[in-house]
Amino acid sequence: MKVLGGLGIVGLVVLLVWLTWSCFPLGELPPWEEATAAWGSKNAVAAIVLGARLWDTLFEVLVYALAIAGVALAAGSLGTKAVLPPLPETPLLHLAVALLLGPIGVFGLYVAVSGHLGPGGGFPAGALVGSGLLLLALARGTRGLTPGWAGGAWETGKFAVTGAILLLGLGVLVLGARGEPVLVGLNVLIALEVALGAWVVLREFAHVRGEM
Amino acid sequence: MGTLVLCGLAGALAVFALTRRRLLLGVIGVGAHSLALAGVYLFLSAPDVALAEASIGFGLVTFIFLLALRRSGRLVVAAVECFPLLYQEGDRPAGLEWEILARLGDRLHREVHVLWVCRGDVSGALASGEAELAAGGFLVRSDPGLRLSRPVVPTRLVEVAVGPGRRVVLAHPCCEALAQSGDLRCEEPEELARALCSGEACRAVLDLLTFRELGLKGAWPEENCAIRVLEDPLAYRFAVALDAAEVHQALEELLAELEDRGVLADLVRRYLG
Repeated sequence: MKVLGGLGIVGLVVLLVWLTWSCFPLGELPPWEEATAAWGSKNAVAAIVLGARLWDTLFEVLVYALAIAGVALAAGSLGTKAVLPPLPETPLLHLAVALLLGPIGVFGLYVAVSGHLGPGGGFPAGALVGSGLLLLALARGTRGLTPGWAGGAWETGKFAVTGAILLLGLGVLVLGARGEPVLVGLNVLIALEVALGAWVVLREFAHVRGEM
Repeated sequence: MGTLVLCGLAGALAVFALTRRRLLLGVIGVGAHSLALAGVYLFLSAPDVALAEASIGFGLVTFIFLLALRRSGRLVVAAVECFPLLYQEGDRPAGLEWEILARLGDRLHREVHVLWVCRGDVSGALASGEAELAAGGFLVRSDPGLRLSRPVVPTRLVEVAVGPGRRVVLAHPCCEALAQSGDLRCEEPEELARALCSGEACRAVLDLLTFRELGLKGAWPEENCAIRVLEDPLAYRFAVALDAAEVHQALEELLAELEDRGVLADLVRRYLG
């Protein structure tokens, strides 16, 4: 049985290697300077990630959306385990939120919008804004922050953004559109998706635990 | 060269984070490690990855760890100084109960923080959630507002009599149960010894450990002292707040394990002779 299992695993690896090299041949990648100029970017990484290898990015976006959906599904079935008492108010945290939240938001937007011109892009920008949201939730509590929002509104927003990214990406791929506006649009949408995803996970965890 | 220095720094910070016993220092170490790693990426001409590492590794992850620490990282113990069970040695706690508390902190992955209080403030600290555990010669038979641990050190109550007359009782809940009207009550053992020496009272009810401690300090009027050990066996225990079921369970398991392995008996021998 052990031998069969071992052989099965080796067979799977061989199959995977064969598929990778024969069924899905890697497209020829133009030299990076050329690709960077062709996609209207100054940052080679943005030209590759949002241009020459846009398929990879679209599938990554899909994987992220599925992971968040999985967390929401699993956490939703857990229900609220315990209601934690609110943390003692600390003026330090409130002050930190008041001082830092604005700059974090602006910097996140800057990193997203200028991702094709220098270091940055949608993913780090979304993570930055997500950290800002976490700081806000830490200071005010998640319940205090989401009184008027129905539970599913954030998830709906997140999946709407994911849909928008996929649509835009497919449109770009089919129409062959290139240029700065496409890169900026994709980066901003990815930042929004990552930040909303971080917030959905945070809210689900807070819901299960009772509060932050 | 810069890359190598930052690589070394990242490695050193990782070792620092892994070897800290205080979780807060560990979290700070992890954050600093991420920052050094972001520097390495920057030197290797990968500013995009450096930015992602800094925002996630240093920002998001450190925040989440700090939040978790704030919720569950500290085990606050309301402690009453009671030599040799729990006392201060310099600015560090020490004693038999401290050895058990330190093991409990390791087991729960929480940092034990000792809040020194008067004996009268212990129940209040536990009820208000200020502390989850009480230690320091806690001597109570049963209390519906507390979870008591299994016995840690067995003891008895003793009555010390210089002659017939007024009685003074130590303000332990167990001693107080024996108090009658007209008896004096004392919060501190020294106060009790003074009352006996000055003739304000002629008999004193207190626990064996306090009796031994006062004897070692020479606070008794030793001549003509009649000592009677009261029959009822008692024990010093830990008290856990009602809502800290997890702590209580871990403590019970730890005490059972220490008892089985003979560590508790060793500790009693070492601290109490």
